[in-house]
Amino acid sequence: MQALKSKATNSLLASEKKSLFRFLTLYILMMMSIIVLISLFYYQNQEKTMFLSKRDMLSDYAYEQIKKLKILHDSFPAHNIYPRDPRFKSAIYDLEYVKIFSLIDSNDIDFNKDMYITDDNKIHFIKTLYEYYLGAKYLILEIPDDGQWKDEAWQNIFIFGGIAIILFTIIGFYIANLFLDPMRSSILLLDRFIKDTTHELNTPLSAILANIEMIDMTSITNDNKKKINRINIAAKTVSQLYQDLTYLTLEHDIHKNDENVENKSLIESRVECFDILAKSKDITFILDLEESYIYINRRKWTRVIDNLLSNAIKYNTRKGTIYITLEQNMLIVSDTGIGIETTKIPFVFDRYARFNNSEGGFGIGLSIVKKIIEEYNMQIEIKSRPKYGTIVSIKW
Amino acid sequence: MVRMFILWCAILLSLNATDAYDKNCVKCHASLPISLEKIFMQYLAAYGGKNNVKVGLDHYFRYPAKDISVMPSEFLNKYGVYYHYKNNDNELKKAIDIYWEKYKVIGRLK
Repeated sequence: MQALKSKATNSLLASEKKSLFRFLTLYILMMMSIIVLISLFYYQNQEKTMFLSKRDMLSDYAYEQIKKLKILHDSFPAHNIYPRDPRFKSAIYDLEYVKIFSLIDSNDIDFNKDMYITDDNKIHFIKTLYEYYLGAKYLILEIPDDGQWKDEAWQNIFIFGGIAIILFTIIGFYIANLFLDPMRSSILLLDRFIKDTTHELNTPLSAILANIEMIDMTSITNDNKKKINRINIAAKTVSQLYQDLTYLTLEHDIHKNDENVENKSLIESRVECFDILAKSKDITFILDLEESYIYINRRKWTRVIDNLLSNAIKYNTRKGTIYITLEQNMLIVSDTGIGIETTKIPFVFDRYARFNNSEGGFGIGLSIVKKIIEEYNMQIEIKSRPKYGTIVSIKW
Repeated sequence: MVRMFILWCAILLSLNATDAYDKNCVKCHASLPISLEKIFMQYLAAYGGKNNVKVGLDHYFRYPAKDISVMPSEFLNKYGVYYHYKNNDNELKKAIDIYWEKYKVIGRLK
């Protein structure tokens, strides 16, 4: 059970991964937004605290400077030297925001605020004059911002923000796992059921197929021949399902036993095997096979071909056609069947994914194909158009 | 030739403008103990910016009254409200413009 569980856990379905990804993306985005918002409030609060600590001092400076401006105003133009102070730089602007005189470095004054930090890290304090000495309504004091509060604020934001991100991510994973648990449990249950039933299928299925082979077809009536054929088709369908289930639950972990497989003869033999199934729907095979080899485990490659042929028959229309093209490094199986909607194509490889309930099956065939394709670094491409058919091509 | 013409025009205009200020302001204020520059500073302290000062002066010349004057009450009690508006808007505007340009603080501080 433990082994089965870990196996299933490792092979998360694409839909499960997608759900997890969507949830985590949404969760992390929300969490990041909250953290950014809190950080912004914290930063602004730190800035306000810093302003508060400097405000009294700057108000005193402004008071002194205004007194000096008054003296200068009264003695102007006999004295025209603007009062300077080593503790700050200052400027005066009239009520039309026209500069009268300035010693400050930044000319970009924000008259809407009484205190702010400029882009070049200077603190500006704006004091409004009620008597316009020298025509000035605004006195701007400028002192350098040492940036210490900013460093502390950023440090705290990074430390506490980082801790919060880690904490929330852990919680997020925990919540996501809680959400996915029911889905995972049902997959495990299905896996267990398949594994248990597969063991019980082998003996009766082998007996049916062997006995059909042994029946002397010449000695029975045409009516009975048809019945036997139907039994044969049904048994082969079950056999195909059995092969898939066995591969899925038992064989996919087996060690590689790769060999140089001759594709043409293998495909011809598999087509022959599926011929009776195809004939039951009046489906014709059209083969265009070149000599081609592939270095692969024969049983695995057979599973790929069988699943492609089985799907091409299963989802084909009555009196349809299946084209099989074999090139040097490519196998193409196309049918004239019901097709799949483009939006559903990315999900056809999901285990238990089925898009048509009219046909039987567990929805595991293409999942197996994908696994084998990925194991041997091959490429698979599916093109489909509803009501026109599907083209599956494999390159190696 | 064109340059000479423009230069002459500018000189003539400037002479005409100076006349407006000298003729209407300087002559009469010469007898007062407080200079026109000091009065200007009073206006500046009361009205602030260029446009405000000009509008303030213009308004005062049109509607002179003790309660809107920027001068101290002692001065007004002694010399009274002076009225010299001759109903010539253009000349008044020119005189005020010259007054501003002559005594404005902008560009004079060091």
